Amino acid sequence: MNRLFSPILTGLVLLITAYPFAWMFLSSFKTNREIYQPGKMLPESFDPFAYKLLFSGELFDFTAVLVRSLLLAGGQAIFACLVTAATGFALAKGRFRGKSLLFWAALLIILYPKQAMSLALFEWMARLEITGNLYGLMLSGVASGLGVIFFTQVFRKVPDELIDLAKVEGQSPFFCFFTLLPLIFPALCTYGILHFFLCWQEHLLPLLTLGSDQLTLPLALAKLGDSSYHTPEAVGLAAGVLAMIPLFLLFGYFFRRVRTALADWVVS
Amino acid sequence: MPNKRAGHLWGNSGSFLFLTSPFLLFWAFFWVVPLFTGVDLAMQESQQFSGSLPGTGYTHSPFSNFERAINDPKFIHSLENTSLFVGGSILITLGLSFFLAISVYELNKKFQGICLFLLLIPSFALPGSLATLFYLFFHGKSGALNQFLVIPLGFDPINWMMDPSWILPCLVLQAVWRWTGVITLVLYCGIRAIPHWQFEVARIEGATAWTKVRTILFPGTRHLLLFSGIFLLVDGVAAFSGAYNLLGGSGGVLDAGLLFVTYAYQVAFPGGSGRFDLPLASAACVLVAGTTACFAWLLLRVRKRMGN
Repeated sequence: MNRLFSPILTGLVLLITAYPFAWMFLSSFKTNREIYQPGKMLPESFDPFAYKLLFSGELFDFTAVLVRSLLLAGGQAIFACLVTAATGFALAKGRFRGKSLLFWAALLIILYPKQAMSLALFEWMARLEITGNLYGLMLSGVASGLGVIFFTQVFRKVPDELIDLAKVEGQSPFFCFFTLLPLIFPALCTYGILHFFLCWQEHLLPLLTLGSDQLTLPLALAKLGDSSYHTPEAVGLAAGVLAMIPLFLLFGYFFRRVRTALADWVVS
Repeated sequence: MPNKRAGHLWGNSGSFLFLTSPFLLFWAFFWVVPLFTGVDLAMQESQQFSGSLPGTGYTHSPFSNFERAINDPKFIHSLENTSLFVGGSILITLGLSFFLAISVYELNKKFQGICLFLLLIPSFALPGSLATLFYLFFHGKSGALNQFLVIPLGFDPINWMMDPSWILPCLVLQAVWRWTGVITLVLYCGIRAIPHWQFEVARIEGATAWTKVRTILFPGTRHLLLFSGIFLLVDGVAAFSGAYNLLGGSGGVLDAGLLFVTYAYQVAFPGGSGRFDLPLASAACVLVAGTTACFAWLLLRVRKRMGN
């Protein structure tokens, strides 16, 4: 494309995407009066009153909310990685009956909108009496279709000679799978982050299945946004900033690996 | 689709059952059973109607709730809104991401990584934060959209959240803002995978930028565009959090921003319209999710044909 067009388009979109978040961070130190003037960038003073209010426990136990969200998203991501990687390995390197069926099962999960399943899942969890249980909610998202398809492609790229070697050494498929895990570490990181990211942002299912005393971050943000609570706008923005930090750090640290794994996956 | 003949491991099905059993177990327990629970629920008689049958002309049949859903104007309205929301966000996001991916690819290599990372920032934010930010930063007479876009073009400031004709475009903008970075990253990886000699040939032959887009970049990324389209379709049909936060759980003025999942939530729980009509909500979910899955599957078939 035109030499000027590329930097201009990129710069413009970067401005639209990144600038509001800089404003959001700075506005978490502002009063309502300052916030209602979106053109104003810097706060009059960097008073962290919103952060203090959040962690004071006056509104709700925000530390517990953070820990709960981390536990839910982190736990589900780790379980989903292991479970879907094992299935992807079997699909890529195994020869067994029902392989196509398994692939279609994974594909169906992707194609069927998850939120539309939430009511039925809530009803089913209520019948099992596991609503209000964080671990029940964690396990409900472990079977990820995207994970299975992703790891199937990843394991297809693992040389068959390694599998031959494992066969010669008399390893079982299960042991072979665990031996190969370090080889696909970038892919594990990538999918783990992606699953963490999706679970971290999940709203409807936690809203239905967890009690009001078991808020996760999306529920806490919705509560802060509720005008009946009369909380200063800065508190909602501060919670939004804090909610971004784990994803920011994870993506920042693993970004190169994520890009590499994604590029490999795209090629395959 | 996995090749049945492919596979290099032991021909012992038991070993593979052991490897795949956790997935199958979770799939059956948290996907298959809830799916049938949803269908079963959709066929149950609604509490609203039980006990009031005589004289109402209502006779329950397994498909009553599906009929009620189809005849509910609010359901149809939510479907129209969702279709516009999904169509708008897919078209804008894919178009913008495609040209953005090309633009980033053409930048100096030193800046490509940082640009991609910065573009991802909106997707790090919770949809609730995006809604709050949208409301505080972009919305209002002194908001950025009015100040930098509407007023300079000579129009009157728009009341984005109160004017029914602008609520849906607001939701579309929010979705575009959230997903553009992610889709750009995927398409950028796709462009990187195009063999370099194709660009060399185009350069030697003096191809214009548009010719390069038409003959190299679009064919090289069309599978990813389709994959991204399916992802955005499924995500768009299931959109809830952004609209829930922005409109406080309602559909906004005149239900102009009522999306399908919000409708289902409103019907099912007293927090919404107070109908507590879980069978009707389930019937609507089964109808919409089933149709979406079929449509997405058809798109995948198109992808397969494109591959052939």
